[in-house]
Amino acid sequence: MFFTQLKKLAGLFWFIFSLSAFDARAAETSSLNIHGFGTLGLARSSSSDVGFIRNLSQPKGIQDGEWSGRIDTILGVQAHWQITSDLTAVGQVVSRYKYDDTRDPTVDLAFVKWEPDDRFSLRVGRIGSDVMMLADSRLVGYSYLTVRPSVDFFGSLFFSSFDGGDGSFTLPLGGGLIRSKIFAGRLHEKAPDDPSLWDTSGSRLYGAVVDYFSGPWQFRISSSQLRYSSDVDFKALTGILYGISDATGITDARDAADAFVTKDTNSHYYSLGTVYDQGPVHIEAAAIKIYHETATFQDSRSGYLLAGYRINAVTPYIGISRWTTDDENLQTGLPDELVLPSGTLDFKPLNDRFQGIMSTLSADQTTTTLGIRWDVRPKVALKAQWDSVYAYDDSKFPYASASDTDWNGRTDVISLSMDFIF
Amino acid sequence: MNTRLIDTILGRTCGCDFHSFGFCILIINKIRLFSCSMLLAIWLVSSPALAEPALDDLVLIANAKSGIEHLTKREVVNIYLGRYRRLDIGSSAEPIDLSSKTDAKALFYRLLVDKNLAEINAYWSRLVFSGKTRPPQQADSVDEILDMVGHNRNALGYIDRASVNSQVVIVFEWSDS
Repeated sequence: MFFTQLKKLAGLFWFIFSLSAFDARAAETSSLNIHGFGTLGLARSSSSDVGFIRNLSQPKGIQDGEWSGRIDTILGVQAHWQITSDLTAVGQVVSRYKYDDTRDPTVDLAFVKWEPDDRFSLRVGRIGSDVMMLADSRLVGYSYLTVRPSVDFFGSLFFSSFDGGDGSFTLPLGGGLIRSKIFAGRLHEKAPDDPSLWDTSGSRLYGAVVDYFSGPWQFRISSSQLRYSSDVDFKALTGILYGISDATGITDARDAADAFVTKDTNSHYYSLGTVYDQGPVHIEAAAIKIYHETATFQDSRSGYLLAGYRINAVTPYIGISRWTTDDENLQTGLPDELVLPSGTLDFKPLNDRFQGIMSTLSADQTTTTLGIRWDVRPKVALKAQWDSVYAYDDSKFPYASASDTDWNGRTDVISLSMDFIF
Repeated sequence: MNTRLIDTILGRTCGCDFHSFGFCILIINKIRLFSCSMLLAIWLVSSPALAEPALDDLVLIANAKSGIEHLTKREVVNIYLGRYRRLDIGSSAEPIDLSSKTDAKALFYRLLVDKNLAEINAYWSRLVFSGKTRPPQQADSVDEILDMVGHNRNALGYIDRASVNSQVVIVFEWSDS
């Protein structure tokens, strides 16, 4: 099935390239420009226990040492219409492996931008999420050094854009530039929730970002909040807990079930980041702390450091990243055996199942990355990358198909890609 | 060499049984598709560079009636990297790039931020495909830049010093930086 999809994608690549080659000259002088980006990626993960994914929007990962183009292959096409000198319309369609196990193209961006002068801009429509530094361009492989953005840092971000608006204001300050931005809107995407989908559309997202640019440096601080519109489907578990609580009067079981409510709870994102980009040297680092009001997700901290040095057209790079979650230590509150006058109730299978689910919500791992980017042409880059993942504990949250496995916490991921723009 | 022959040879080389032979074919097909797609994409996306004499005396020009007297290197960086294009005189600068087919563009960005064209393209791809801002307009030649700057008070462009005419003024040169 995947191979068939890949063939279709190759056909789409051919069509788009033909279109762009034909239209390129005309587009330069027209107010309507068609551009695109893409990644042809192959990767293999050494683990046979868990599916390595790019982020939580992907329902199936790669595993068993099999080479696959599933997680990294992306194609995007953008139409950019300069309506007037201060009014722009942008539409962007992207085909990538996503929550519904397909590559069906989706509208990733669709907004109107009003920019009355260079200090202020306002965008309304479907906009890229800017929750983390570089998050709104993480589908554009050509724009960064690595094959994919750090999974430890960006992996928990299951949405790529939202419907709403943002406004930014830029001013010179202290020899540099300070740019502040606020944004608000609602999510429109779903997330995989094996075996079904978690519909997050309508979830409210808002936040603020401050960037400071000074010479080769960029510094960023951001804060945002996401309020979920629906529950993750834990009904099979929580229904049993509610029933037992009602039957036995053990309120801890009800409390445990309540902790999995997601609807109308908030996740809070606090992020810092910096980029140093001077001549052949490129260094970037970022950290994020996420607090969740629901037990469905564990509070997490993650960060990464990436450094590259360009030698002519080749840029070797090295990175390290870490992702940890805080153990909720949530229990059902039920004894393994409850002795009643009418007999004994055996809750041990339920308690074990509950702990099994809790274990799939943890992340505690470090990834070391080595790679090389070769800019073979001004708009084409080839990359090769090795990621070595070391999980210190039961780190299953960052992976697909991890619920019933005894993973030893180690996997090596080898990746090859060709990134391009047109 | 046809596909069947390649598959046959590789299958024999793998020493595959019936089931793993199918697996090999799948892998080979994937590799073949990937390789072909890569070659195809490189061929389609790439364009040959037109050789032009390197400009060893590059200057930044503005319209002679723009009111711009001088720009600092920091201002030029902000303008050409799309960070901030508002000028002290109150107007918004409209930077013009030479086409990537010229050597002058590569020289300009090397002098300005010590970046090659691939890095500049990568930088702009991040901004363009996140819908943040737009890159400078493109001109195919020095004459086109002179024409665009000469007819637009907000336009800026880089050319060799010898090409400067009476319609434009030099607002930045690397000896200043």
